[in-house]
Amino acid sequence: MSEHMTSHAEAYRSGRALGLQPLKLGMWLFLASEVMFFGGLISAFLHYKVNNPSTEGALLDVPLVGVNTFVLLTSSFTVVLGLSAIRQGDRRGLVRFLAATVLLGVAFLGGQAYEFVSLYGHGVTLNGSLFGSTFFTLTGFHGLHVLIGLIWALSTLYGALRGRYAADRYEGVEVFGLYWHFVDVVWIVLFTIIYLV
Amino acid sequence: MTTPSVEPHAGPRRLTYAIVFLILAALTAIEIALSMLGVDPALRTPAFLVLSLAKATLVAVFYMHLRHDSRLYAFVFIVPVILFALFAGVTLIP
Amino acid sequence: MPKPSLAGRLPSWTRYLWWNTDHKVIGLQYIVTTFIFFLLGGLMAMLIRAELLRPGFDLMNGAEYDRLFTNHGSVMLFLWIIPVLAGFGNYLIPLMIGARDMAFPRLNALSFWLIPPAGLLMLASFFVGGAEAGWTAYVPLSIRGPDGQTLWAISVVILGMSSILGAINFVTTVFTMRAEGMTIWRLPLFVWGILATSLLVLTATPVLAAGLILVAMDRLFGTLFFSVAAGGDPVLWQNIFWFYSHPAVYIMVLPAMGIISEVIPVFARKPLFGYKPIAMSSMAISVLGLTVWAHHMFTSGMDPRLRIPYMISSMVIAVPTGVKFFSWLATMWDGKLRINTPMLFAMGFMSLFVIGGITGIFLASIPIDLHVHDSYFVVAHLHYVLFGGSVSAVYAGLYYWFPKITGRMYDERLGIVHFVLNFLGTSLAYLPQFEAGLLGMPRRVADYADQFTTLNALSSVGAFLLGISTLPFLYNAIVSWATGPKAAANPWRALTLEWTTSSPPPAENFEDIPVVSSGPYDFGQTPAVSPAATPAGGS
Repeated sequence: MSEHMTSHAEAYRSGRALGLQPLKLGMWLFLASEVMFFGGLISAFLHYKVNNPSTEGALLDVPLVGVNTFVLLTSSFTVVLGLSAIRQGDRRGLVRFLAATVLLGVAFLGGQAYEFVSLYGHGVTLNGSLFGSTFFTLTGFHGLHVLIGLIWALSTLYGALRGRYAADRYEGVEVFGLYWHFVDVVWIVLFTIIYLV
Repeated sequence: MTTPSVEPHAGPRRLTYAIVFLILAALTAIEIALSMLGVDPALRTPAFLVLSLAKATLVAVFYMHLRHDSRLYAFVFIVPVILFALFAGVTLIP
Repeated sequence: MPKPSLAGRLPSWTRYLWWNTDHKVIGLQYIVTTFIFFLLGGLMAMLIRAELLRPGFDLMNGAEYDRLFTNHGSVMLFLWIIPVLAGFGNYLIPLMIGARDMAFPRLNALSFWLIPPAGLLMLASFFVGGAEAGWTAYVPLSIRGPDGQTLWAISVVILGMSSILGAINFVTTVFTMRAEGMTIWRLPLFVWGILATSLLVLTATPVLAAGLILVAMDRLFGTLFFSVAAGGDPVLWQNIFWFYSHPAVYIMVLPAMGIISEVIPVFARKPLFGYKPIAMSSMAISVLGLTVWAHHMFTSGMDPRLRIPYMISSMVIAVPTGVKFFSWLATMWDGKLRINTPMLFAMGFMSLFVIGGITGIFLASIPIDLHVHDSYFVVAHLHYVLFGGSVSAVYAGLYYWFPKITGRMYDERLGIVHFVLNFLGTSLAYLPQFEAGLLGMPRRVADYADQFTTLNALSSVGAFLLGISTLPFLYNAIVSWATGPKAAANPWRALTLEWTTSSPPPAENFEDIPVVSSGPYDFGQTPAVSPAATPAGGS
C-alpha cells in the first residue's frame, strides 16, 4: 500500500473539524456568486422600475403567477421530503419525491411560458420596451436556472434509481437540493419585486 | 465523491418541513390577496418586502439546513446578500 | 504485452498540452499561457508607444488606435494579471497547506481550459471589426460599433466564469484540506492574499457578467437596457462595471502583495513583523474595496452628495495598505539581507507601488480628480500600481519559485540585468506621464498637442526599454529550465511547506504529509531542525 495515498478522511480533516463538507461548501460558494449575478440583473430591473415606471406592468397576471409561485414552493417541499426519505434509507421514497419535483418544475416552466406568450400577445416584447427588456431578461434567466435544475433533478433521479444513494451516502441529493432551493428563493424575490410591489 | 455526513443528529423531522411548507403557502396567499385588494402601495410595499424576506429566510434556514449546519455556510450566503442590497440601493438613486 | 497508451509514448512535457487534473500541471499551464498573453499585450503596448512617439496619426488611424488600447488593456487585465496570480495560487496553495491537490481537481482543470478559447475569442474580435470602446466598454459606444465588441463581451464573461470557479476551489481547499497543525493563523500570507481575493472574485465578478450579458443582449437581440431613446441609463452601466472593476484592481494586487510577504522575511532572514495585521489588512482591503467603486464616476453626473463618502472610504484603504508596507520595512530592519533577484523585485515592488498608491490617493480627492480624470495622470497611476506593482511581484514570484517548479536554478546575473532594465524602463515610461496628465493631455488619444511631445518621447523610449528588458528574462527562464544547475529542495532556506518537498515536487506533493508545529516565518524561533515541519509518520 503506497504511503502516498492519503485516505479520504485524512485529506479533509481540517474541514471536518470545522463541520464543513467540501461539496456543500463549494455549492454555497457557487450560490454566493449566483446571488450577485441575479443581484446585478435585479438591480438593473429595479433601477428602471423606480426611475422609468411603465404602464405595461399592469398587464402582469398576478393570480396566475401566484399559483406558479405556489407550485415552485411545493417542489422545494418535495425535495426536502426526498432527502428525508433517503436519510432513512428509503430509496423508493427518494425516487417518488424527485419525480414529483421534476413534474412540479415542468409545471412551473409551463406556467412561465404561458405568461410569456400571453404578454407577447398583448404587445409586451423583449425588445419592444425597456419594461419588456428587463422583465423577460430577469425572468428568462431565472427560467434558465430552473431548466438546468430540472436536468440536474433528472440526473439525480436516475442515480437514485440506480442505487447511487443510501442512508449514509446522500450528499449528492443534498447538494442538488441546495441549488433547487436557491432557485426557489430567487423566485420568491422576483415574484415580489416584479409582480407584487 | 461523497464525504460521510457530519451531523450527529437525524435532521429535522418531516413534520417540521410540512409546517414550514404550510407557512410558506399561507404567506404566499396573503401576498396574492394583498395585491388584489387595492391596498395603498405605501403600506403594501413594506409588507411585501417583509413577507418575502420571511419566506426566503424560512427556505434558507429550514430547507437549506442552515439552522443545523456550520455557520460558515450562512456567512457565505449572507455576505453577498448584504452587498447586493448595498449595490441595489446605490443604483436606485437616479 | 499491452501496447503503451498514446500518452505513455509521448515525452512527459506533452502532458501540459491537454487536460490534466494535477494542480501543479494546471498552475504551470496558467503561468505559461498567461505569460504568452502578457507578451502579446506588451507587443500592443509597443505599437501604442510607437504611435505616441510623435504627435499626429503616424502608424494608424483613430479607430485602429482605439482597438489597440482596448485590447491592450483587456488582454493585460483579463488574460494576464488576474489569471497568472490564479496560476500561482493553483500551484502553491495545496503545497503551502500540506495537501495533495485542490478540493475539486476536475473543476480546476476546467477553470484553466476556459482561458485559451476565451483568449482566442478576444483576439478573434480583431477579425470582425474589433472592440473599440476601451476595456471599460462604456455605453452607448459599446452598444454601437463593430461586431468585435460582442465577441469581446462574451470572452470576458467566459474569463469571469473561469475566475469564479477558481475562487470556489481556493476557498474550499484552504478551509477543508489543511494539514495537521496548519491553523488559520499559520497560513502563509500568500494564502491569505488568495482568500481575500476570492471574496472579491465571488461577489464582484458575477455583477460584471450580468452587465456584459445586458450589453450583449442589446447588441444581439435589440433589447433596450442602454438605449437612451427608450429610457436606458448610461450611468447604470458605469455602476455595474465599476462595482466589479474596482475590486478587480485588488484582485490584481492582493495575491501580489502576498508574494511580497513570502519573499521579504526569507531574504531578510527575520520573522515577519506583524503577521496577523498583514493577514487582516488583506481582508480589510478586500471588504473596503467592495464599497468604493463610484470614485471612478466623480465626473459622471452622479448625485454630488454621494461623492464625499466615496472619497473618504477610498482614502481609508491606504491605511491597511500602509500596515503592509510598514510591516515589510520593519521586517527588513536589522535583518540579514540577501539581495537575490526575488528580493530585488520585491524591493522594486515596494518603491514603485508606493508611487502608484499615493497617486491613487490624489485621484480619490474629488477636486483633483475633476481635473485629471481621463488624463494621462490616471494612465501613469494605473501602470505604476499594475506594472510597477503587480508585475514586479509576479517576477519576484517567478524567480523565487523557479527552482521549486522547474527543479533548476536560474542565472542570478541575468536576473539582476532584467531587474535593472525593468526598473529603469518602468520609471522612464511612466513618470513623464504624470506630468503630461497634469498639463492636460487626455488618455486614449493617438494624436496630441505639440507641447506634450517631449514627455511622450521619453515615455515611449522607456516603454521600448521595458520591451527589451523582457528578453534577458525569457532567455534566463528558458535556458535555465533546460540546462540550469539542479536545485535543492530548499535553496532559499525558507520555512513554508512547499520547501519541505523535492524540487520539483513529486506527483503526490509530499512523501508524507507534514505535521506543522510553528509559523511560516519563524526564523530563529524554531528548534534546530529547519524547516519547521516533521513528516506525519515521524516522531
